[in-house]
Amino acid sequence: MMSYRKRLLVVMLALLVVSMAFAGGEQETADQGKTITIWVGGQVAELDDTWKYVEEKYEEQTGNTVEVQLFGFDVYYDKLLTALAGGSGPDLAFADLGGWVPTFASKGWLMSMEDMIADWEDEDQIWDNLWPTVKYEGERYGLPWYTDARLMLYNQKMFREAGLDPNDPPETWEELAEVASTITEQGPRTYGYGVSGTKTEHTTLAYIVFLASNGGQLLTDDYSEAAFDSEAGLEALQFYTDLALEHNVSPEPVSYHEDNYRNLMAQNRVAMAIGGPWSFPLIETANPDIEYSLAIHPYGEAPASVLGGWAIVIPQTTENPQAAWDFASYLNSYETWMYWLEEKGGPMPTRQDVADDSPVLQDEKWQNIFKVFPNATYRPPIPEYPQVSEQIQLMIQSVLLEEKTPEQAIEDAAANVNKILAGE
Amino acid sequence: MQLRLQREERIAYQMVLPYVVAIVFLVVILLSSNIISSFRAADGGFTLKHYQSVLTDEAFPTILKNTFNWTFFSVLGQIGFGLIIALLLNNITRGETFFRSLIIILPWGTLDIVAGVMWKWMYNDLYGVINDILLNIGLINDYIPWLATPDMAMVSVIIANIWKGFVLAAMFFLARLKGIPQYLYEVAEIDGANMLQRFWSVTLPQLRTVFMSTLMLVIIWTINYFPLIYIMTGGGPGNGTETLVTYIYKLSFRFLEYEEAAAASNILFLIIMVIVAMFMYWINREEAE
Repeated sequence: MMSYRKRLLVVMLALLVVSMAFAGGEQETADQGKTITIWVGGQVAELDDTWKYVEEKYEEQTGNTVEVQLFGFDVYYDKLLTALAGGSGPDLAFADLGGWVPTFASKGWLMSMEDMIADWEDEDQIWDNLWPTVKYEGERYGLPWYTDARLMLYNQKMFREAGLDPNDPPETWEELAEVASTITEQGPRTYGYGVSGTKTEHTTLAYIVFLASNGGQLLTDDYSEAAFDSEAGLEALQFYTDLALEHNVSPEPVSYHEDNYRNLMAQNRVAMAIGGPWSFPLIETANPDIEYSLAIHPYGEAPASVLGGWAIVIPQTTENPQAAWDFASYLNSYETWMYWLEEKGGPMPTRQDVADDSPVLQDEKWQNIFKVFPNATYRPPIPEYPQVSEQIQLMIQSVLLEEKTPEQAIEDAAANVNKILAGE
Repeated sequence: MQLRLQREERIAYQMVLPYVVAIVFLVVILLSSNIISSFRAADGGFTLKHYQSVLTDEAFPTILKNTFNWTFFSVLGQIGFGLIIALLLNNITRGETFFRSLIIILPWGTLDIVAGVMWKWMYNDLYGVINDILLNIGLINDYIPWLATPDMAMVSVIIANIWKGFVLAAMFFLARLKGIPQYLYEVAEIDGANMLQRFWSVTLPQLRTVFMSTLMLVIIWTINYFPLIYIMTGGGPGNGTETLVTYIYKLSFRFLEYEEAAAASNILFLIIMVIVAMFMYWINREEAE
């Protein structure tokens, strides 16, 4: 039998050999052009043939290699956050514009793309209201890749069955309440409008849609104070919660949000709810026979919407910033987009020339989106946004649970938001 | 002989050493980095600001109360239910393995995420099977939105947690019950003790040590347990089901307030240390007797 010391030596040698093998492997890949790793989260960019074609074409053109890692949306945020905080991110990553980009930039995790974007020939093709969502302290940290806007999804079959014109959706809040009541009266567990009231981002987004369409805004222009505690903000809160409490046209709102309502709409249970371009494939998968359309969301004063979407960002730790940018601008080029839309029919491009030219985007649903998009507002691009958003969610829940009056709730929420923004 | 024992002991020490070093290293590193960052100000200096902002958070009293309710009622249910199941299983002689695996392994073996989603749907107010059953046997007149008010949501997650966790207690109790010598019961029976008296003066005292260590484990486990609440309610509605762990998760992963999250974790760690110390004191005293 070997002595203890000898055995230890064998183990050490084995470890040494293994580690050398790893080191050798790394050396080999580094020699063949540049490898760009990109992290993709969410359901839009599945690793299918379209994606493979786009990727291979790029590899042919440049000799660089692209490595894609796909994550489900549920785990993507945590995964990306952990990697960035630990300094081990990819060369390129998708990040929710508005929410994540400025927050990550404030932590020093992202590389400024200001110079690259300023030199980019297609800069003015991107809609103007997208740029503030990727800005932090005056510099741009992301390239908006695809976007969306919140409008109203509605079930045309339920409209017809309630004796309403399926091509004439409600335009104002009064009409919304009226139409929703008519549909709700059609039977038990049939609802006119789905009020999102969960403790999630959906609820804040819904409130922003109602608020903006009533002429209000969430924060002041310099993001230093709450601005929703105005006449317009109170009316929006009152009407939004009244839909559930007074008009009784929604399922139990605290348990549901727009994604649930979309599924209930596919089963002809809920007639109207917030939705957008991402909803089309999802509702059609849930019910291939669904008759639905997308209308401008009913408004208090004027049509409004809130935009969202994804930007491509370059983590600070990348070794190939130039190659990373090169691939990012390739992904967002006119040619790539036209091909992509031809194959997949979505998502919504951030480029105006593609929106004008793509034959896929000429139908009524898409045209409604393009109608409201230039005026769509965005979520405050500040690191404190998640806390602010939570206060809005708590405010709405406290009214829906009848713990507070709208006046009291809005006053408390504004006080808390002001505290958060003051850094207390 | 004496010499050989020493040698074996030495080898045993050598074998566990890497493990001990790794564990101590990890715990010490993580714990101290957590403690350091909880006291570190933005400029690198010392500050109590993070603790202050956690302790003065408007929601903090609610969170503590929720953590207590969640832990107390979950543990009560798990220990109680676990004991009953263990006693019943101990009396079954035919098909014992079958029942044991069915009742005990099933909830424990179900993934946390799966269990959370499953319970969420069972509680659903439009399609939920629980509402359907209650309505059909006439206990309720209309569907109840189980997860829609803070109090009901707390009750609902606790029920789900009892189902998920009673298994551990049942397993430990059953193992101990199997080890109680039969003659103790026979003696008691000869002395004229009825079933309840036999349980009271034979089974319970025999279970005592296992009971206490199980209780300790289950309490710690429950305080730290995160997935069910996260999946079923996300801490809502309002702050209705927000416990210390979901609060820590929110601070670090949603708000990116790492220092405050570190402060909150240290507060939780302190609470758990106090609980452990109390149990350790009790168990040591018990053993000394």
